[in-house]
Amino acid sequence: MTDIDLLADVTAFLNREARLLDAQQWHDWLELYCEDAIFWAPAMRMEGGYTNDPELELNLIYMKGRAGLEDRVFRLGTQLSLASTPLPRTRHFLSLITIDLVSETDVQVFANWQVAWYADVRGQQGRAGSYEYVLRRTDEGLRIAQKKILLLESDIDGYFDFYGV
Amino acid sequence: MSSHHAYANLIDDRPQDGVFRINRRIYNDPAVLEAEYERIFERTWLFLCHDSQIPNLGDFIATWMGRQPVIVVRNGDGEIGCFINSCGHRGALLVTRRTGNVSTFDCPYHGFCFDTKGKCVSARNRQSGWKDDFDIARFNLRGVAKVASYRGFVFGSLTEDVADLETFLAGTARLIDLFVEPAPAELEIVPGFCTYISNCNWKLMHENGPDAYHAPVVHRNFAETIANREARDGLQGMAKTERGRLTARIESGSYEVGNGHTIFWHERIDPSVYPIYEHREELSKRFWPAQLEWIIGRGRHITVFPNLLLNDLASSHLRTYRPLGVNRMETTIWCIAPKGEPPAERAARLRKFEDFFLPSGMSTPDDIALCEEAHIASFGKHAGWFELTRGDAFRSDGPDDAAKAIGMEPLASTTSWDHELTLQGVYRQWRRMMQAGG
Repeated sequence: MTDIDLLADVTAFLNREARLLDAQQWHDWLELYCEDAIFWAPAMRMEGGYTNDPELELNLIYMKGRAGLEDRVFRLGTQLSLASTPLPRTRHFLSLITIDLVSETDVQVFANWQVAWYADVRGQQGRAGSYEYVLRRTDEGLRIAQKKILLLESDIDGYFDFYGV
Repeated sequence: MSSHHAYANLIDDRPQDGVFRINRRIYNDPAVLEAEYERIFERTWLFLCHDSQIPNLGDFIATWMGRQPVIVVRNGDGEIGCFINSCGHRGALLVTRRTGNVSTFDCPYHGFCFDTKGKCVSARNRQSGWKDDFDIARFNLRGVAKVASYRGFVFGSLTEDVADLETFLAGTARLIDLFVEPAPAELEIVPGFCTYISNCNWKLMHENGPDAYHAPVVHRNFAETIANREARDGLQGMAKTERGRLTARIESGSYEVGNGHTIFWHERIDPSVYPIYEHREELSKRFWPAQLEWIIGRGRHITVFPNLLLNDLASSHLRTYRPLGVNRMETTIWCIAPKGEPPAERAARLRKFEDFFLPSGMSTPDDIALCEEAHIASFGKHAGWFELTRGDAFRSDGPDDAAKAIGMEPLASTTSWDHELTLQGVYRQWRRMMQAGG
């Protein structure tokens, strides 16, 4: 596979994830994740920069294993979460999709993102940041082994969940 | 229209008639906020930071006292001081980072320098601008009237006219003791913080903390999610989150502490899910059974009016608030834990904290949403008053047995964590301070 082919594959994969989130197709979306996937949004340190040791430092979200994402999908399904009922509508915008490192098993990918978010009552909101993915090359194609989400903002306006970043 | 009575009249407190009502104007009237800055935030002790955040000489934190930006700094003598974050020369914001270490604060505007005690040590090109006998001490930073700390929690007051800090903390001091003392060394703020901004009046969020009545309703989805997870994954021990408090009938209580502070507690159905349970042997040598009951057997929630929340429910944390406007507020939240705790305990504590408490967690977003919606509803002027009377019939003056056992002396006690006497206490203090005039 040439570099161009791989970049096309990776881009299509990231686009697919973004579309599934915006379409609220959670179960298809979960399929993109490896069983042992890490979903990680570090917090900021008081002195600046992101936390980097999830065992010892605070994170906005840190879930080891796809089951953590399944929990969040389950919670939305209870229809009892005031913050998620009705579900806010989102649109993801990805750019600067770049392959940072390729090995036989993995592809490390960087991308910038922006999410437009609209909720009844609370209205429009926007967030931005970058993603650092580790994509695993499996027989079924690429799967997410790690998704690290770096939020641009240190003061978080409102609230968010996995579908809003 | 800002006579003192105008604000006092927004709280209708008539215990003899069984009435306690609040006018929703307190949440959305800009004049009320203006008065709150002057009569509350500038007239009492405010939480500033935790000791462990500024351990070394020259360490500072930039924060706020109501609307006033301040710098809290450990000076050259190791004492903690606090200054208005504004250059003594022309008033520029002196410090723009959240935290750091300095030998002097150097103004980014005209280059004046101040030592960590606020003394002006250099006015740039002094000789060519002022006569020799000119004393640059007149540029010294303006210190806040009082700074004191209790068991590592640092507070400041913009007025001299306050009681000493421990007197101010009243009954919450006994529970802060039991929060701090079990740690083998001290407590520390876990690295990393979260600040979040909500579109509601600050008091709605302040109320949401001591209000345990909402938890089984608003956080039912959390309890169901966790139950689902634990069944699926067969989780045991510290990996579990205790959810009995959200689903079962449990023993509990709450207190009107005085000075607007609140406390509630609840029995932990399964204390073994908390990291502290691992240390029960050692703790039983240092504490009386009644204290152990509080430390290991009970979830505890404390608010110190007007800007500190400390709790050990799902996980241990502290929060501080400030208004950004009448309809906007900021919360900053940290996880707090024993210094040097074993990594497995730290990780379990963090995961439970992240699960519940952040604007990216599985509970706090629901609290934020309801506070924002309550703010919208506060404009329903024709339904202007609401009641806080739940639990009045169960109220007794002074401490109950649980409080007596640790020498805590609240104004009143009640038999459930979901009674509203805690909130009555908040608004009695609010009324008292707003009435005091400006």
